[in-house]
Amino acid sequence: MYAATTVLGGTGTGLMGFYLGLGFAMVMRKLFGYPDLWERDLCLSVGYVFGLVGWVLGIGLWGQWAREWFGMKTYANGAQGWQRYFTFCTDHKVIGIQYMVWFVVVFLAAGFMAMLMRVELAQSGMQFFNHDQYNAVMSLHGILMVAVAIAAVIGGFGNYAVPLMIGADDMAFPRLNALTFWLVPPVGIMLLATPFLGGLEAGWTAYPPLAVQTESAQTLFNLALMTFGLVSILGGLNFIVTVIYLRAEGMTWSRLPIFVWAMFLTAILALFYTQGIFVALFMVLLDRIGGMSFFNEANGGDPLLYQHVFWFYSHPAVYIMVLPGFGVALELLTHFSRKPLFAYRYAVGGLIGIVGLSGVVWAHHMFTSGMPNYLHPPFLVATELISIPTGLVFLAGLGTIWMGRVWLQTPMLFALAVLFNFACGGVTGIFLADVPTDIHLQDTYFVVAHFHYTIVGGEIFALFGGIYYWFPKMTGRMYNERLGKIHFWMMFIGFNVTFFIMHLPGIQGMNRRIADYPSEFDNINMVISIAAFFLGSSFLVFFYNIIWSWFRGPAAAANPWRARTLEWQTSSPPPHDNFESPPVIKGHPYDYGVPGSVHATFPMGAAHAPAGGGGGGGGGGGG
Amino acid sequence: MAVAAPAMHHKGPDRTAINRLGLWLFFFSESLIFALLLSSRFFLEGLNIPLKHGSDEQAVDQVLGLAITVILLLSSVTAFTGETAFEHGRKRLGHWMILATIVLGLIFAGGVAYEWKTAHFTRGEAFGTVFFTMTGVHASHVMSGVIMLGLVWVQALRGKYNEKNHWPVSGVVMYWHFVDVVWVFFYPALYLV
Amino acid sequence: MNKAMQLGMIIAVILAVLTVVEYIFAVNVDDTAIRFYGLSGAAIAKAALIVWYFMHFGRVFRPEEAH
Repeated sequence: MYAATTVLGGTGTGLMGFYLGLGFAMVMRKLFGYPDLWERDLCLSVGYVFGLVGWVLGIGLWGQWAREWFGMKTYANGAQGWQRYFTFCTDHKVIGIQYMVWFVVVFLAAGFMAMLMRVELAQSGMQFFNHDQYNAVMSLHGILMVAVAIAAVIGGFGNYAVPLMIGADDMAFPRLNALTFWLVPPVGIMLLATPFLGGLEAGWTAYPPLAVQTESAQTLFNLALMTFGLVSILGGLNFIVTVIYLRAEGMTWSRLPIFVWAMFLTAILALFYTQGIFVALFMVLLDRIGGMSFFNEANGGDPLLYQHVFWFYSHPAVYIMVLPGFGVALELLTHFSRKPLFAYRYAVGGLIGIVGLSGVVWAHHMFTSGMPNYLHPPFLVATELISIPTGLVFLAGLGTIWMGRVWLQTPMLFALAVLFNFACGGVTGIFLADVPTDIHLQDTYFVVAHFHYTIVGGEIFALFGGIYYWFPKMTGRMYNERLGKIHFWMMFIGFNVTFFIMHLPGIQGMNRRIADYPSEFDNINMVISIAAFFLGSSFLVFFYNIIWSWFRGPAAAANPWRARTLEWQTSSPPPHDNFESPPVIKGHPYDYGVPGSVHATFPMGAAHAPAGGGGGGGGGGGG
Repeated sequence: MAVAAPAMHHKGPDRTAINRLGLWLFFFSESLIFALLLSSRFFLEGLNIPLKHGSDEQAVDQVLGLAITVILLLSSVTAFTGETAFEHGRKRLGHWMILATIVLGLIFAGGVAYEWKTAHFTRGEAFGTVFFTMTGVHASHVMSGVIMLGLVWVQALRGKYNEKNHWPVSGVVMYWHFVDVVWVFFYPALYLV
Repeated sequence: MNKAMQLGMIIAVILAVLTVVEYIFAVNVDDTAIRFYGLSGAAIAKAALIVWYFMHFGRVFRPEEAH
């Protein structure tokens, strides 16, 4: 079978590369005259790099791309049907679903770790874990969820929907796109293997000096995350070129769907800033395995350097997570309000403003780090300034609902929840941006509550809204609306109870990242834990609904939402080249209710009527 | 509109334009790695180059530094000439120029290796850390450039490129110039400041 | 053909002169700040020359041109 040979072949060449790398490292140590050939972290690092190269070559890079560099003929990918999902397939729709399924599974695993943490935290004292195990689970939950937040919407919906929405037949670099996805599984597997190889101690931020000195699987963590950085960079590059060059005829920048705008701007952030985390982790790696002194104060290094470089990426990374979420939410709000997107130009301007400001706010994570005091005011002001463009995006969302014919299907509920949750996250953010309050609140559960409100409330809700919205397009089947709504209300209530209450012990100074706490917080933590289990159980409903509907659900129409954007003007699921005939864009995508407006026509295709025309008509539409 | 439609899936900007933008975005992104390393160098060491232990000379070898800089600059000239030769169909000149670039690149890497071997500081002290990291990351880019030039050279010898089709040569040569630009910033930061 | 190569040579000579000037400047100037700004200026000028003339940055904005 094609799928099995591809995956097993890639695993085989990966293992071969790994052992080759181990051998290479030991031979080099011999040549340079070291007394012992085996140095665990160094040899494993070289092995990992060789293994990663072997894996991507084996999975299809060699056969479908690299042979060309040596002047040989490449092979075509012969896989059909479901087997495509397990091969080096260059179709952006296959890659989108690969990302989506992969990261939803990782989301489940990381969510399960959160449940384990809440079991331990339900009471003070240690019942279930020891401190090392808690650190390992906490670090892993953090980093896996960061990975999901960064790549699920970008990799999944970005790959699936962006080429469709701009009327292209694929991404600009399809083979690079496939390569990018196949770099992801080693990252996930390496990270999930860390608990068995010494655990993690330093949290997802991995600050030195602890990250340099720890005996845990920190090296593996750094290597995996550097690989993930590569995924982000190459993916971002691909999106930028695609949106610049492959837009259909008539798709001007002012007619671009808002989700495409959000993805384009996110891609710029990902392309540019991700190098920051790459360099930061690389320097830690050199300190660990190369005997260097970037962060060793005794030899002239400085641990603060890491925090600067790390947050130089990791604050923009927050916008890499949230901007696509905004894009999805605005997209859903306008389709389900049956109204033109309010203040489209201001919303785009707001997104651009966020991108522009995101690079100059990083040190607000470091107010208590001991950096020079004169840095506090500029970073305070820059951070507060960013609420202005965010406010523009937010008001565009509110203005779209205003006087709309709101159609409360499951995706719309999630989009409305994004607005609600992100407002809470934004308000608590003000306290953390102000130096005086931040010094009090630093490293407490207030911070935990704040960033869960922004990232989970702002992006993961949009992710689930998007899953329900595009599910009929991706699978050709309809999900169960009743179960979808049950999932929404469980998730919304569970989420808000858990994280709203979490602010309170935070204000009183309960430390985050620590497995134990004073017993006066017992009652409130028990409430948080119970609410968290309720939140966790909502995903069981989701998985039952999605899996059942994917195999047994009723067939979906080409355009079940009567939406105007291009991805709904082709069959569900779309054919290999996306459109039977190339679309020509005639008007704005969101002109619901504007008489005589047309978004796109298919001049060559008799099968399609003018698409997305007029008032939308019928059902919850009209207007 | 309808007249232009049949060819529409194949029209639009050609492949070279798409590839070129992709390559430039890659440079744009890579330049941040080097910029961050450069900033780290000034963050840790300020505007100083340490002295040799027990002497008032600087710890870096100025003559060697200037020599490898000139060699890398020369290799950029040969690379440029090679690319221009392929653009105008003078293949023999192009072959020789690419070969010359490869040789100059290898001499540069050898110079860096010699500098490493004779360095008056260790990787355990801060200046050694930034010096070895910056030259190491740069030299690894030089080596990957040499490998890609080698692949392109073999394909060129087999007659794959001509006036119309020479994007691989142009792309690799652009990468080579990019590596040169990085050294333009690294050289003064490591030797002269 | 010859014109393009001549231009390349002229740029290369300018770069070489700048490099030597940079070196002499750095060896003879003692003020750290002046040295730093001088070297930065020279480096930016050299980088701009390479990016514009050797890497043909302008071609990015003229996608219709074949090569």
